[in-house]
Amino acid sequence: MSTPDREMVQKPKGSNTGMWAAVAVVLIVIVVVVVGFEAGWFGKSSTNNNGTTPPPGPCTVPSGQSITGAGSTFVYPLMYTWETDYTASSVTYSSVGSGTGISDLASKTVDFAASDAPLSPAQQATDPNVVEMPESAGAVTIIYNLPGVPTLKFNGTVLADIYLGTITNWNSTQMQTLNPGVHLPDQSIVVVHRSDGSGTSFAFTEYLSAESSTWKSTVSYATSVVWPTGTGEKGNGGVSGYVQQTEYTIGYVDLEYALANGISYGSVLNPAGNYVLPSLNSTANAIKDFTGTLPAATDAKDWYNVTIENEPGAQDYPISTFTYLMSYQEMSTLGSSFTSQQADALISFWNWTIHTGQSYSGQLYYVPLPQNIVTSDEAELSAFTFNGAAVSHC
Amino acid sequence: MPGTVSIRRRVTDWTTYVLCLACVVFAIGILVIIVSSSVQHALPAFQGSGVGLFTRAEPLPCSYAPGGIPCNDFGGIEPVLEGTFYLMVLASAIAIPIGVLAGVFLSEYGRNPLGRTLSFLVDVLAGVPSIVVGLFIFSVVLWWQPTIVYSVISGGLALAVIMLPVVVRTTEESLKLVPQSTREAALALGIPRYRSILQIILPNGAGALVTGALLAVARAGGESAPLLLLELQPRIGFTGWTHSIVPIPLLVYLWGFTEPNANWQADAWAAAVTLIGIMLALSLCARFLLKRRLPGSGM
Amino acid sequence: MIPSPPTPRPRRRPGLRRALEWVFAGGTGALAVLSALVFVAILAVMVHNSYPTILHYGPGFITGTVWDPVTDVYTGAYPFILGTLVTSAIALLLGVPISLGIAIFLSERVRGWIATTAAAGVELLAAIPSVVYGLWAFVVLVPFMRTSVEPALHTWLGGVPGLGTLFPATHSGTDVLTAGIILSVMLIPTVSAVSRESMAQVPGAQREAALALGATHWETTRTAVLPYARTGILGAIILGLGRALGETMAVLMTIGNSDAVPTSLFSQGQSIASAIANEFTNASPKEASALVEAAVLLMGITVLVNVIARLMVRGLFRAPEVRA
Repeated sequence: MSTPDREMVQKPKGSNTGMWAAVAVVLIVIVVVVVGFEAGWFGKSSTNNNGTTPPPGPCTVPSGQSITGAGSTFVYPLMYTWETDYTASSVTYSSVGSGTGISDLASKTVDFAASDAPLSPAQQATDPNVVEMPESAGAVTIIYNLPGVPTLKFNGTVLADIYLGTITNWNSTQMQTLNPGVHLPDQSIVVVHRSDGSGTSFAFTEYLSAESSTWKSTVSYATSVVWPTGTGEKGNGGVSGYVQQTEYTIGYVDLEYALANGISYGSVLNPAGNYVLPSLNSTANAIKDFTGTLPAATDAKDWYNVTIENEPGAQDYPISTFTYLMSYQEMSTLGSSFTSQQADALISFWNWTIHTGQSYSGQLYYVPLPQNIVTSDEAELSAFTFNGAAVSHC
Repeated sequence: MPGTVSIRRRVTDWTTYVLCLACVVFAIGILVIIVSSSVQHALPAFQGSGVGLFTRAEPLPCSYAPGGIPCNDFGGIEPVLEGTFYLMVLASAIAIPIGVLAGVFLSEYGRNPLGRTLSFLVDVLAGVPSIVVGLFIFSVVLWWQPTIVYSVISGGLALAVIMLPVVVRTTEESLKLVPQSTREAALALGIPRYRSILQIILPNGAGALVTGALLAVARAGGESAPLLLLELQPRIGFTGWTHSIVPIPLLVYLWGFTEPNANWQADAWAAAVTLIGIMLALSLCARFLLKRRLPGSGM
Repeated sequence: MIPSPPTPRPRRRPGLRRALEWVFAGGTGALAVLSALVFVAILAVMVHNSYPTILHYGPGFITGTVWDPVTDVYTGAYPFILGTLVTSAIALLLGVPISLGIAIFLSERVRGWIATTAAAGVELLAAIPSVVYGLWAFVVLVPFMRTSVEPALHTWLGGVPGLGTLFPATHSGTDVLTAGIILSVMLIPTVSAVSRESMAQVPGAQREAALALGATHWETTRTAVLPYARTGILGAIILGLGRALGETMAVLMTIGNSDAVPTSLFSQGQSIASAIANEFTNASPKEASALVEAAVLLMGITVLVNVIARLMVRGLFRAPEVRA
């Protein structure tokens, strides 16, 4: 046999180091190839018209742009209609919960977030450059599953006690006092809340904190809280699904989910002393009666203390909430693959939602924005910049 | 007297027989209950859409409130069949070649302490919970390229990490079963070692390799936990490698657990039944290959 | 004269062949190292991402009970650890006896096509993906627990001193008990299959010896088979535990998703896996770091359990003394 073959068969021990050296070389080659692959492939993430200039004349949105957003399940039915009917750019909205939307914006994995919860002071401190702008408003509806029972009345104290676990039975004295003459079943209340970070939870717990000092001191309000009792479900969809399928449950969702799925909901006592059902009118009344100050356009960041809950009017629904669009004021913060055309497209989309988009709101039971909020929003839109220059939008 | 067993011992024997039988009946019973329950819940969707269930896109959001789209359409789950396909193709393209070659190394060149350590580490990887794998991929992709955190690529990477230990293990085990005499004969004939591996030993273990690949695909195909972190639901359907995607198991979760509409829930059950069917088919294939004792599959 | 050996057919130049050998060995070796390093990478990345929490809370993280997203304080993963342990314990308590019963029946008490068919049926349970178990449990098991099982448990056992606190009056069906039950069903195929394998390894001579001495079938199993296979069976149980610890989907859909420490079997809770799935995407940086540390804990326990299990299952089956 020739010498090379004998070496192959015997495989002397000393050759192992050579082998491991070969391993190292091959690993390095693989790493270099992968890095080059990545540099070449992921150079640009979306189609863009870096080379073309938009034609002069009437305002046109740069064509073929795609923008991504994520957040609130509360406003998803409206967002879905908007993204389907808005054809100037391709808008992709993922309904994952306000908390996740805000996180995704913070890590810049999406271009904008939608949230029913404004940024908390801690979140504003971490990301000071985020603009929040209300694009709609809706009612947090108390849903329940009690076959054969007509519309129930609730008040803040009773709701807080139910969610604290102090009231455990449907035919408890408190519920019976609120609803005299109604036959309430002798069954445990199955409490349902959100398991994910939720703007709907924020609005609901904010209301409970205002109505019950026990709630405020033990639980307080945020997108995620430590619920004293109850089962957590995911999204407005999960809560409405669970309530719809399971008897003796109580939950809180946006009005559209209750109506679209035929789920019973109750009226809530407002500060004026009336039991008001959630509806377009009662939430619109709440916004009309809002007497607080809106954040100035130049400081369009702090909506944390703006609330339209417990407004004083006679027909105001007490658990109404704005829902906000959020993004970075200096839009290049979104990353090197985010272009100025995309910034144009994004702001143009937002501009469309607060004008043309509002005509879609009513049929889905979201409240169209009143003029003063629209004006405030328009001022916020002009505050957006890309690399220092104002973002032009249509 | 020899030959008689006391009543007490006979009763014990009989009782244990019955108890053990009851356990088997229970397990088979649960299987029957789960499968029939799933089929029963899926029936409305199968009746409503028929074969269209597998060719049509998801139904439009409907509403029982006046003015909304009426809720009488079941739509289909075609986008998630697409999604599963793309995701599994990517994951397999990554995991199977790497896994097979790694298994080859461990079996042919790795019969030494260093090789055994590597093999052990791969085994350890098999024990990592899938949600932790998802967390890992999320963190790495977030650091590397935030815009593709929710994409087919990150989902494929996570599934590939889950598939990898299965492929490595089955490749290594099956190649180790090839008798040493085959290797020695090849070397004695003057065939270079790498060619003997590629042309003689690997084909000998081909049956088990295919089985291993099937098992790995079955394992990853049923996973949804890591994808909870890595896909931006509820967008379904393939719109690009850098966009989010939803495979069948994730749809079962989304439409079964987070969707109030009864039609969409029935679709979720239909997806669940489809998934069970696919898993069964893969299992049966793997079992069939083992039984037929294809070359190298002698396990 | 000795005939010269046949001329070998022309080969590639020795240098090229040797180079190809190195490339092949090196290439496959690199991929093997890569595969092995994936686990190391996972560990490294997880520890790196949770480093602030590890430094801040140290070992107290295991017993810290406060997980409060409102004040952004996460002193420990105890609620999730307890949830994980309780659901896994219930899963083992309920699932192991049934699995052992199946294994004994199929390996010792029946033969032939009945055994094969029944075994195939039990293995089909393994083919059902965990999300389908979860959905079925959510839609079928949870209502059944809420309306039938849990009231009954409360009625029978609620009055028992001590034990009774485990079965309070409020029951919603989504709680640690239901999660434990669905996990026990998911354990059955794994534990029973591996136990069967261990029992099959027992030499027939052992059984024959016991039978020859006049033992009944059960006594044969009890004295000749089980002691011999006990390491493997224990390994099977631990393997099942490993599966239960890491299971996410089925738990997430049945456990009720509450961050508070579970105080009874009817309490809602979270396991570490379900907490990660529920909270990670909407976590603040501090919460994310704490979740990742919980993930490290989970990974550590699961990996340890799996390694021990594999060692036991693959280990040498020492022949114990057979007690007559």
